[in-house]
Amino acid sequence: MSGRATQGRRTGGAGRRARSPARARDPLGEAVRLLFSDLRHAGEVRSARAAERVLGGEAGRTEHGTRVRFSLRVAAGRVREARYRAYGCPYTLACCEWLAGRLEGARLPIRTLDEPARWALALSIPPERLGRLLVIEDALRAALGAEALPPEPTA
Amino acid sequence: MGAPIYLDYAATTPVDARVAAAMRACLTVRGTFGNPASGHAYGRAARERVERARAQAAALIGCPAADLIWTSGATESNNLAILGSARGAPGACGASGARGAKGAEPAIRGHIVTARGEHKSVLDACRALEREGFAVSYLLPDREGLIDPQAVRAALRADTLLVSIMHANNEIGVVQDIAAIAAVCHERDIGLHVDGAQSVGRIPVDVTRLGADLFSFTAHKLYGPKGVGALYVAPARRAALQPLLHGGGQERGVRAGTLPVHQIVGFGLACELAGALLPAEAPRLERLCARLWRGLSGLEGALLNGHPVRRVPGILNVCFAGVEGESLLAGLTELAVSSGSACNSDSEEPSYVLRALGRDAQLAQSSLRFSLGRATRARDIDTAVAAVRREVRRLRAAAP
Repeated sequence: MSGRATQGRRTGGAGRRARSPARARDPLGEAVRLLFSDLRHAGEVRSARAAERVLGGEAGRTEHGTRVRFSLRVAAGRVREARYRAYGCPYTLACCEWLAGRLEGARLPIRTLDEPARWALALSIPPERLGRLLVIEDALRAALGAEALPPEPTA
Repeated sequence: MGAPIYLDYAATTPVDARVAAAMRACLTVRGTFGNPASGHAYGRAARERVERARAQAAALIGCPAADLIWTSGATESNNLAILGSARGAPGACGASGARGAKGAEPAIRGHIVTARGEHKSVLDACRALEREGFAVSYLLPDREGLIDPQAVRAALRADTLLVSIMHANNEIGVVQDIAAIAAVCHERDIGLHVDGAQSVGRIPVDVTRLGADLFSFTAHKLYGPKGVGALYVAPARRAALQPLLHGGGQERGVRAGTLPVHQIVGFGLACELAGALLPAEAPRLERLCARLWRGLSGLEGALLNGHPVRRVPGILNVCFAGVEGESLLAGLTELAVSSGSACNSDSEEPSYVLRALGRDAQLAQSSLRFSLGRATRARDIDTAVAAVRREVRRLRAAAP
């Protein structure tokens, strides 16, 4: 007998297969799981060559549960390479990974990244995690500066 | 991918196949399905099975069978012990929040001593008593999770009715010196309640030697069914125990409700099996735990939570500096482990037990509880070590 729980056998009179732990629904959701499992954009951009710039920005605090840093290598009006480092929940890491992928190749100023509420919708991130996504947005805004996302809505 | 390796036996255990079979034999028309309160043959047969189970459960904790009350689990046992003892104490009568003299502060109905690292079912019962006009002192454990018996002594007051300290902690597995705490309590004739949900079946327990006046335990932590537990009540404390449920007079009037025969029979057999397996199982789990800690302690920033020696076999709680706990847990898809007690894992707040040990919020939040059980094998431990090392390194590499 091994530590793997043996479930999923036929249940007596009901005749239906019980849900096995292996088939239990992943609370992260498919999109977040895929991104979280393969953080290929985690890290720092390579140092910039001539005619290239590196933009960087950071937000959040580890002791508050979320800290994000983006670094972007920019040349000829486009983001050539996007990297991030993040401490946070799986949704935070997955969203950083997703955004980094979308940023690469994007023309400056960035107009196509929408806003955190739409990121949450796109990745099926639960609304209660929106606060984490706002930290990501702050880090991106800090990195992009004047070449930032669409302006923040005013109150 | 197959089912993850189950390393969360402190949350619950699978029902032993022999226990399940015994339970099935109490459900249908050909089995012992009667109501134990009935006077006819079906009822008498059920009553015999219930009393046999009571003897089996009592034998595991070293008490007379007559001193054991069936409940729905450790949460009810803890509530019955704490609320029932406080409300039923001779000096505690009077309406909730009743004022002494006109305009004076509400009279305190009595005082309870417990510890900050107790299970929620103890802490929340104490909070309920505070709302009813009782005073509660919450002792802080030391950095290894131990409660100093002298700190208990210092907390006692003239109006102290009860002390409630758990035997083994559900998150870190640390075992308290209950006998020493009991000696302190008994010097002043104060009752001691012990939550033994995590110790029974993992270490030998003898409530008489421990000196517990009330002792809670449950079936589902020792390969029995969920939904049934027991409370040991020393004869001297029974008269002062006020029931929480009324109607039917079962369990000598202390716990009303038709007895769930199949659950109780399962619990009894689970206790008998646990007692028989304990001498071999405890050292085996201790060896596996040591193997796990050897594998994890090589990781930089891996810190053992709780006393290194005074612990039940099979529970290991480790925090990983610089790693976010939820991501760590999410990355360990091949393991079923807990990031704290299961009762507390819906919360994003760091474990209050680990915070009580002085761990900062980040470290507490990064903790994993591994709890091993009968089906755990050395290869499972090796898989767990490899998975944790992989994820800790991956998440640290992604961190700022």
